[in-house]
Amino acid sequence: MAQHSIELTVNGVRRFVETESNRTLVWVLRHNIGLTGAKLACERGDCGLCTVLLDGQPVKSCLVLAVEANGRSLTTIEGLSKEGALSPVQVKFIEHGALQCGFCTPAAVLAATALLKRNPAPTREEVIESLEGVLCRCTGYRQIVDAIIDASHSNH
Amino acid sequence: MRDLLPKFDYHNPQSLQETLALLDEHKADARVLAGGTDLIVSLRALQETPGHLIDIKGVKEFRNLSFGEADGLSVGAAVSLNQLVHYDAALKVYPILAEAAGTIGDYEVRNRGTLVGNICNGSPAADSAPALLVLEAMVNVASKTNTRKVPIQDFFKGVKKTTLAPNEMVTSINVPIPPAKSRGGYMKARRTMGEDLAMVGVAALVTSGSKLENKVRLAYASVAPTPVRAYEAEKIFEKNKPIDQLLDEAIPTVMKAVCPISDVRAGKAYRANLVRVMTKRLVRGLWEIN
Amino acid sequence: MTKYVADLEVPGMLYAKFLRSPHAHARITSVDAKRAEKSPGVMAVITGQVFPYRMGLYIRDKMVLAKDKVRWAGEPVAAVAAETEEAAEAAIELIDVHYAPLPAVFDVNEALKPNSPLVHEELAQYEHSPVYTPVPGTNIANIFKLRKGDAKAAFEKAATVVENEFAMPQVSHAAMEPRACIAQYFQDGSTEVWTCAQSPFAVRYILSHALGIPLQKINVHVPHVGGGFGGKAGINFEPLVVLLSKFCGGRPVKLLLTREEEFTTAPLRQGFYGWVKTGVDKEGKIVAEQMKYVYDAGAYADYGVNIGRAAGYSCTGPYEVPNIHCDSMTVYTNHPYGTAYRGFGHLEFLWAIERQMDLIAKKIGLDPVEIRLRNALHAGSITATGEKLREDTGRVDECIREAAEKIGWGKVGEVAENGKFHGIGIAALWKAPAMPPNAGSSAIIKFNEDGSASLAVGVTELGQGTTTSLAQMAAEELGMSIEKIKVVVERITDLTPYSWQTVASRNLFMEGRAVICAAQDARNQIIEMASQALRVAKEDLVLENGMVFPVGESEKGISLQEFAMGYTYPNGTAIGGPVIGHGSYVPRALTYLDPETGQGFPALDWTFGAQAVEVEVDVETGVVKILKVASAFDIGKTINPLLVRGQVYGGMLQSLGIGLMEGYVYNKEGAMLNSNFTDYKIARASDMPPEHIVTLIENPQSDGPYGARGIGELTMLSIPPAVANAISNATGVEIFNLPMTPERVWAAIMEQRPELAQGK
Repeated sequence: MAQHSIELTVNGVRRFVETESNRTLVWVLRHNIGLTGAKLACERGDCGLCTVLLDGQPVKSCLVLAVEANGRSLTTIEGLSKEGALSPVQVKFIEHGALQCGFCTPAAVLAATALLKRNPAPTREEVIESLEGVLCRCTGYRQIVDAIIDASHSNH
Repeated sequence: MRDLLPKFDYHNPQSLQETLALLDEHKADARVLAGGTDLIVSLRALQETPGHLIDIKGVKEFRNLSFGEADGLSVGAAVSLNQLVHYDAALKVYPILAEAAGTIGDYEVRNRGTLVGNICNGSPAADSAPALLVLEAMVNVASKTNTRKVPIQDFFKGVKKTTLAPNEMVTSINVPIPPAKSRGGYMKARRTMGEDLAMVGVAALVTSGSKLENKVRLAYASVAPTPVRAYEAEKIFEKNKPIDQLLDEAIPTVMKAVCPISDVRAGKAYRANLVRVMTKRLVRGLWEIN
Repeated sequence: MTKYVADLEVPGMLYAKFLRSPHAHARITSVDAKRAEKSPGVMAVITGQVFPYRMGLYIRDKMVLAKDKVRWAGEPVAAVAAETEEAAEAAIELIDVHYAPLPAVFDVNEALKPNSPLVHEELAQYEHSPVYTPVPGTNIANIFKLRKGDAKAAFEKAATVVENEFAMPQVSHAAMEPRACIAQYFQDGSTEVWTCAQSPFAVRYILSHALGIPLQKINVHVPHVGGGFGGKAGINFEPLVVLLSKFCGGRPVKLLLTREEEFTTAPLRQGFYGWVKTGVDKEGKIVAEQMKYVYDAGAYADYGVNIGRAAGYSCTGPYEVPNIHCDSMTVYTNHPYGTAYRGFGHLEFLWAIERQMDLIAKKIGLDPVEIRLRNALHAGSITATGEKLREDTGRVDECIREAAEKIGWGKVGEVAENGKFHGIGIAALWKAPAMPPNAGSSAIIKFNEDGSASLAVGVTELGQGTTTSLAQMAAEELGMSIEKIKVVVERITDLTPYSWQTVASRNLFMEGRAVICAAQDARNQIIEMASQALRVAKEDLVLENGMVFPVGESEKGISLQEFAMGYTYPNGTAIGGPVIGHGSYVPRALTYLDPETGQGFPALDWTFGAQAVEVEVDVETGVVKILKVASAFDIGKTINPLLVRGQVYGGMLQSLGIGLMEGYVYNKEGAMLNSNFTDYKIARASDMPPEHIVTLIENPQSDGPYGARGIGELTMLSIPPAVANAISNATGVEIFNLPMTPERVWAAIMEQRPELAQGK
């Protein structure tokens, strides 16, 4: 099995990674690049906690081979805050108590961030639809949805 | 924590020719990789261990999504479900297909998973299949030496089995324009309000009304080894009777076209009940629109 | 950056995997690890033979790896530590284990029969806490008996007697973070452990006893935990990982569970069978009650015996019952074993009791709200264990009325449209922390040079945010801004002040009292110095806005900063010293319970509540849609509204999952069929009811911190029966077993009221 040299732009920074073909994107992020915000929690693409933005689109990075992302641009949770300041969505999450154990929070925040970019004024149903792929066991989703709706109002 | 996939060689062809050559070379030891939302899961579970993965997303032809008044909708093998679901022509001309494709997985899965992948996986629960069946789609199959067109109803051969030979792949799906004034819908029974595989899936394409000949097409997911059409039952709807009577007459014939089983997701009797209830609700709802 | 155990790396780390038994009950006839030992990258392979000592929280019935016998399909029989995860996985495949299957038992009622296969033939030899009494020669790990008054006689005089059976399957905590542990065992026996445990001190204690290492040589670290819900409350895989490290010459070893292993091998919630017989008078007041609660503990007792006990002493639910005969049993089967899970037996028996209340009400023609109000406990009532409820007790009657009002009780009729029936149901609840009468908590507040402070407490951070509330209390007591109080994140048993465990909805109360005590200790030290510095009597000094000043003269204030490290006079002389406040708390006047009657004082504080739901039942498909939820809890004092709401919303959906969609499914051989999130469904965002009205009632708990009571588990106790009661209200169909999946509801409708589903 060959080694591949791939280039990933992660949170605006170009990274060069040597990887085997059978490594997934979430693996490379966590082990090669040291970004542990994306989680491994179900091995079947059910939980969504490995969510990252691939060219701005939310995807489950445990279902993407690292080599498939060659030349592409990624945003992880670590890339959302600018110069130590949390992103507007992150601020709203904290304000609304939308995180408890925090394990699903990177995924929920990224899904929300992508949603608000493509749909700046979503309905509650649309917010729920955007979170469908992310499992949370602590919050019951209510405060997460409230935070995202609030963030959408604050943008305008 | 298992992230480990079995070892394989990764290929990233940039042309149709290159793709088909690779497939011809490796045959059953190769798998086509489009969205990966089924394949990667099955690799990780060691349900399959191909020596070669052929990533088709670099091939321009496979990314084609287009619509023409003559040929209808064309969906390339690398077109994602979200692309299809948000495609204007799909929404206007094939709302049943957009609806069905929109029930697959969740938004993130649909950013990667493809329509072609959904049928090639060969699951009897494929949500796009009943819609494609009632739309009478055509599947374009190619190998290095041959191309052929397979009507969708001949594409599925058994559980996880399609008509594809080891050196063949689906390059695109063509969906003809539905009959004039027809209305379609896809109903999916889930175990929860959240995303789920279909316990039972029903698609119906209905043409009815005072100046029209009644025509119903019915197709089902998760109630037979493959997605199926209920041709015999469909004929019953051509009669000139009130819809409730037609449904009462047709249901027993529908039940002959399906053979639900009990598995971890649902029991046989419940699935049979759902076939009856959902067929009635869906067809009645579409019928009365006219 | 938030770090969980899976994110941590220790230099030289090895990776562990374990091999699981495919059989639910079998003798291990041989284990051959030679091929695995020679496999590339493998440092150690261990089996049950290397460490044949039994461990357990209350009954020492479990070994680190199965030896001689496996007791559930999924039980670890061997473990490997290797240089990479791939090497460990490959090595596992090379371990040859041979089994001779034994007859297995999967149902608690079968397990209680005299000719049942025995899960623990050697039960008589197991050491156990004197509080629990396993019955050798049976599958009974414990029977908790509660006897109050004379139930037999009282039944004879009852106007109506109702008897029913109820059941629910085992369910998974399904915390998002799979269990993870890193351990390093040094040559001199000192041990460092990083684990996602809720109770680092319990982990340390059990490791010490199991491995024969003195307590102070073991140091347990707990970083952030990605959800616990009780599943990480006791001891899980830490002993296994420590052993692997020992056998690897002291190299650190990391174990991460897959989600599948979380389902098949990590502990879960006990299954439940309940039989309840209730006698009421003409007014619907309960005069006698007899119940048999049976908890399916699975292969090992773990917390199961305490759960049975807690269910036993709370057995009536929040009602006053003068005559009770309750046997609450914990029984072994060949299922995966159960541990603590939010609610600790209460969700299970309240499923029975709250359904029973509605069934009685239906039988005698009484409104379900009314029957509850007539029986509700209040100040002065005598509970099942003979405790007289204090005047400051929470008010379950207020909770019931509030939930009923907010759901629109009496206003929504049986609206039936297109085969969809609407109904409303209500259920009440209560719980006190299930813990030993001497379970303690402690806290340290230490000041920094700039007058800010660090707060160290033993409650672990699982996401419940207790530490925020504790910081609020400290800030309040010390007159400081909360921004100046830092809660230490990591728990390290060498440094962190002791807390019995982070469970039982006990920590806000107990850590809260300890924090207040610590803050007052710090305050006294400051005041002592300030009194000298300002030459003002201590009683005349005030702490406010980060300053100390004589009352009425805030302009004379001195910043806390001046006292944080001791006070230095202008000429350089220093008095006092660095301020460290310490506080401790143990529950007031609790007792053990009488082994024959269960009488005594087990409860630190009773939190009461009620929840009502409005449902829409599609009778043709069995789909139950929750339209609205109304929850009311008497929590004494809302310290942090956002955190409390988080508990209410989260607990509601987690228990809705148990009510509607969750449950372990096994094949005939006892192997799990739904060990992944595709087929073990938990609630997603779209499963959330569209409306949830929450009322927090505040009748203060006089000895709670600022009047507060616990809430964490309480939010999870009454949704399933409320939903079933609503289904009954809507359709007349009675449900006795969980989960209420569409298929199971449809089956109940077809059995009891098929005519409903026959309509158009």
